Amino acid sequence: MAKVVPRPNLSFWEQVYFVEIVKGLFTTLKHAGKSLTDADHLKVINYPDVAPVVPRDYRARHRLMKRADGAPRCVACFMCSTACPARCINIVAEESPDRHIEKRPARFEIDLLLCVFCGFCVEACPCDAIRMDTTEVVFAADNRKFFVIDKTKLMDWNPKDYPETDIQSQKAPGGSKNAEALAALTSGTDH
Amino acid sequence: MDFIQAHAALVYAIIGLALPIAMPLIIFQLVPLLVVVERRGAAFIQDRPGPNRAGFAVPFLGTKIRAFGIPYTMTDLVKLLFKEDFQPPFKVSRFYLLAPAIPVICALLTPAVIPWFATIPFLVDDKTNYLVGSMISSESGLLLLFAFGSLSVYGIVLGSWSSNSKFSLLGGMRSSAMMISYEVSMGLSVLGLLLLTGTFDLSKIVEWQGAHTWGIFVQPVGFLLFLVSMFAECNRNPFDVAEGESEIVGGFHTEYAGVKFMMFMTAEYLHMLVASALMATLYLGGYGLLPFPLPSFDSTAGGWHMVALNTDWLKLHLGLICFIMLTVGGIVALYAAYLVNGRRVNYGKQKAADQASRQIEYGLYTKAFGGAGIGMLVLGQLALWLMNTAPIDNQIYLIESATNQHYFPLWVNLLTAFVQFNILLGKMAFFAWLFVWIRWTLPRFRYDQIMALGWKIMLNIALINLLVTAVVAKALTR
Repeated sequence: MAKVVPRPNLSFWEQVYFVEIVKGLFTTLKHAGKSLTDADHLKVINYPDVAPVVPRDYRARHRLMKRADGAPRCVACFMCSTACPARCINIVAEESPDRHIEKRPARFEIDLLLCVFCGFCVEACPCDAIRMDTTEVVFAADNRKFFVIDKTKLMDWNPKDYPETDIQSQKAPGGSKNAEALAALTSGTDH
Repeated sequence: MDFIQAHAALVYAIIGLALPIAMPLIIFQLVPLLVVVERRGAAFIQDRPGPNRAGFAVPFLGTKIRAFGIPYTMTDLVKLLFKEDFQPPFKVSRFYLLAPAIPVICALLTPAVIPWFATIPFLVDDKTNYLVGSMISSESGLLLLFAFGSLSVYGIVLGSWSSNSKFSLLGGMRSSAMMISYEVSMGLSVLGLLLLTGTFDLSKIVEWQGAHTWGIFVQPVGFLLFLVSMFAECNRNPFDVAEGESEIVGGFHTEYAGVKFMMFMTAEYLHMLVASALMATLYLGGYGLLPFPLPSFDSTAGGWHMVALNTDWLKLHLGLICFIMLTVGGIVALYAAYLVNGRRVNYGKQKAADQASRQIEYGLYTKAFGGAGIGMLVLGQLALWLMNTAPIDNQIYLIESATNQHYFPLWVNLLTAFVQFNILLGKMAFFAWLFVWIRWTLPRFRYDQIMALGWKIMLNIALINLLVTAVVAKALTR
């Protein structure tokens, strides 16, 4: 349904237009004068002199979460690569040595040049294995192959860089069970 | 000095010959400055620092001099010169190549008509000769200027037609239609002033303003109409529908690249400068100092009386004028030094990667501006002091003819001409800034709004203004 936009009732001086122009000119002059005299007034990040502050929840470069024993939390279910609209995630699955886990990724590659940073992979993941909270938003390289990041690069992150309160990032759900299972495997008591 | 004074006529002749070459070049040199002012002005209005990266690397200083973005115009020039000269295969070849030259040539011809300083009378073998401040001083002065201004639209229309592209054609059609509409009100708005001054000669119009008062005070409505028409004439915001980059790509220069595009842009900025000079000449008294006579105390003439600040007054009080101008300039330079020093402190607070070089660079700026400011203040004092000890009156070798003509030494005349040129440049700078200022304040008008404004409003106001001026002028002269 068409929306009727009422014409604004302009006063005489507004219809003359010159008065309003002069008012607008003074507004812009105020900004220009302030910018000229006060450097703090310039609302810009002096990139690249000063690194931009990227918020933690900003969709940045991906990382793969780890279990307590350092193994990837990913179970190679292909949910993320299915959800990906840019088809930038390439997964090759293999059998996991852990009996409680069916699969694990043999290769997990993300082409950052294809990625549109939509965050669908994060939402699709059933076990919170992939996240986009590294705050790395600027990538530069002189070769395309450097933009395809693999499993080692994705899992190369330091827990100290992430907030302590974010338990999920430090401990995987079932991580301890996984460790127990591993311990049971090695002692030969299980099954 | 005596030798030069003895050959003054030769010096005047050389200057008279050099002016037609020098003046367009001087105006041309202002274009890159205006581009910088436009870019930085736009940035400051939008609360951002603007282009401030490019600079000259100076090996022994350990820093690069970025000079407030001025090197950007040089980099732009280099880029445009070495860019691939792409020409669309569907163009109409000859006119396509001819089109960018027309606006530039027209814009470079127009400074010839504008009086840059007052006519200098000088004696050769006891006969009075004149060095005229404008290259063409005739009764067709203003008409010539309008003719050049109107011709430049041919470049736009020709370029848009020969580009053989629909976007270009739309831009060219818009431009030509707008030019036709606004030239009517432009001519009619300036007619009021011409009625009062009774001449088309710009030198005489300026002299009339010096003798009476500035055009803006006798023709305020005409000034506003002329200002708006000039914005339309220069294809500037809010009348830049010919370019209209949000609607028709690039308008008339869509198919132009490299040097040819640069020529269109140069012509636009040249037109802005010429329009500024024209508005200053017609309505702000040209090279004149003040719009009204000042009360002055003279004990020999018996107390207070009003003194018109004409060219002779300027020459007699040159020291005072130089003092005032240099003092104002010095204070401005010192304030600039203060501002730059503030920026240096601000850079210290930030985690700049090349902080050390920035500190050196801004220290240099501070020293340069501070030195210039102090130098100007000292020079101003010197000028005032020289005037006090040896007044220029004593140095005039007054050969009063029947026309009560004053003759001044060569250096006084030339310095006065320079001062007057600077006054006109100052007024031009105001209008040039107004162009930039308006551009970043107002949105672009819609095409039908432009037509309605031109034909339904401005034309009527211009006609009424002309009528009222004619009646009042007739009533006053009776």
